[in-house]
Amino acid sequence: MKILLALDDNPRSLAEALRLARERGATLNALFVIDSTWEMFTGHDWLSGCNSRIGFLEYMHTTEEETAAATAIAFKKEVEGIPGELLTVTGDVAEEIRREAEKGYDLLVMSSPFTRGLEMMRDTVARVTKKLPCDIFLVKAEPKK
Amino acid sequence: MSDKKKSLTVFKTDRHEDIAAIIASAIIVAIVLIYMAFVVPSVNLNAQQDGKLTEVFVAEGATVKKGDKLYSLEVVKKKWKDNVMEEKHVIQEFTAKANGKVLKIAGKIGDKVKKDKGLIIQLSHQRGTLP
Amino acid sequence: MEDKNIFGKLLAIVPGLAIMVGTLFVLRVYVEPWMSQVTLFGYKGWLVKVMSLNYIVMSILLGMFYRNVLFGGKIPGWAEDGFRTTRLFIKIGVIMLGSLYTFDKLLKVGGVAITLIVAFVFGTAIFILWLGKRLNADRSVSSVMAAACGVCGVSASVATAPGVRAKPVDLALCIATILGFGIASMFVSPYIGKLLNMSDYQFGAWVGTGILNSGQVLATCLAFNPIFAPGTAVAYGEIWNVVRVISIPFVVFFITAWYWKNEAAVERVSLSSIIASKFPIFVIGFVGMTALSSLHILGAEGSETLRVIREVMAWVFGVGLVGLGAYIDVREIKAAGGTPLKIGLIAGLLKYLLALIIILAFIPKEGAF
Repeated sequence: MKILLALDDNPRSLAEALRLARERGATLNALFVIDSTWEMFTGHDWLSGCNSRIGFLEYMHTTEEETAAATAIAFKKEVEGIPGELLTVTGDVAEEIRREAEKGYDLLVMSSPFTRGLEMMRDTVARVTKKLPCDIFLVKAEPKK
Repeated sequence: MSDKKKSLTVFKTDRHEDIAAIIASAIIVAIVLIYMAFVVPSVNLNAQQDGKLTEVFVAEGATVKKGDKLYSLEVVKKKWKDNVMEEKHVIQEFTAKANGKVLKIAGKIGDKVKKDKGLIIQLSHQRGTLP
Repeated sequence: MEDKNIFGKLLAIVPGLAIMVGTLFVLRVYVEPWMSQVTLFGYKGWLVKVMSLNYIVMSILLGMFYRNVLFGGKIPGWAEDGFRTTRLFIKIGVIMLGSLYTFDKLLKVGGVAITLIVAFVFGTAIFILWLGKRLNADRSVSSVMAAACGVCGVSASVATAPGVRAKPVDLALCIATILGFGIASMFVSPYIGKLLNMSDYQFGAWVGTGILNSGQVLATCLAFNPIFAPGTAVAYGEIWNVVRVISIPFVVFFITAWYWKNEAAVERVSLSSIIASKFPIFVIGFVGMTALSSLHILGAEGSETLRVIREVMAWVFGVGLVGLGAYIDVREIKAAGGTPLKIGLIAGLLKYLLALIIILAFIPKEGAF
């Protein structure tokens, strides 16, 4: 069995994916998507002249990379003994998850609502499940304090 | 870095976009000015406001100088005065903006005219001037 | 995208741009003239004159329709490059707006504009920093919201975010709040303006002071009165806009300095480097155009030449506004919430209403030019 875990900042989805992988002896791949849609999100910001916007987008990119690095460390610590790898890609989060899921996985685990990058503003689950080729296990996210 | 900067705008950076906007607007204005000064042989002067044509000061074939009176309209002038909208019927005269020649007079005295509609005078202008 | 040559890049722009231009063409040439002839509720042109549904408003609405309904929430790849020219078109339009003024006209209104902008910009920023403290908001959230509500919405929040280490989640909520508020005020303000019988001068001054996002100031002015000419709402609103945009670097400096003053780690903040990196240089183009107008190089007022220039300007703006609408994602705006929404609503509404009261009380109806 091959499981794909879409990573965000919800620890419950990671815990559930680990539990499933252990119980079923499955391979667990985790996907972290660096959100590249900030540019479109601020696209209406037409008056921000000169380097305001580019400075901002670079700042967001750096922040995303830092989050990716921290997530990788946390994931590797937890995943010990389970076969699989951590994949980090850049792009539209929902599209990248669906693209990866099309590569022969049996199950996709992700939290609902999904909060990676700008996806907290969008209905990621609806976007991902559209034409999804595998089963999906939605893990309820812990409410934010 | 290239990965971060790619596709931020159609230009490499926002600063490029700013400069492109300045250059593009300069080109657009230059094209309009050259077109109006050198390409357009004559201009059709339509009414600039809704109103009634009260007088035409020139005759067909006449030569006019910049500032010469061309025609007058009776218009309703709206103006805020002491925070009250005043509406006054006034006669407003319209002048030539460049030296030229009257090619045609299409408006008739007493005609009711609508803004930007209905030709009053057709005027050719001296090459290199802005009608 | 990266490996496309210049020809390929230009070609990629065509589909999206064709949609934007085509939309405006249909709206301006067919739809608006038709709507202005239609009699509804016994009033000829009710849709245009009473509902303010002119081609400017319809351009934005149709852009929103494309993005949110037709394209299902995301501009498709084939149209993306074309829609990305939106900012370029609006910037060209803003620069060309400089032709509506001469320096003596700018001086007449500039003093009032600067006074109101400085008072409202810094007043709002200080109020939000205080309000943020009261609501126990994160300091970076207060900073970004202070810039956003104080100066020009998204532009200012984006300019401030890196300096105050704003978190992506907070920033996304801030932007959604600002946009939501801006869009609501964009559609509501023209009706308030007409209801209160405001003049173009008052309306331009009000929305220039009270609306959060600069992009929406122009759109709102044009919704109120779609004519590009000296003395119209857009002519006054744009003066306010330019003053606001110029003030961005100063506000960013002020807020960043405030943020780091109370942080354990210290970061050096320099006004000169902020101005160098954040000054919007397209404003220089605007001033250049005003210089040409002041020297009477663009033709005399009332000339056919100026009429053509203004007609081109209207087309350039219109194309840009279709794109502006297409960048508005309603679902993202609906996701606004949390502390940024509270701060944004309180400060935004207060600023909007206070500006209205002050304009009605102190700004005369008769315009300065």
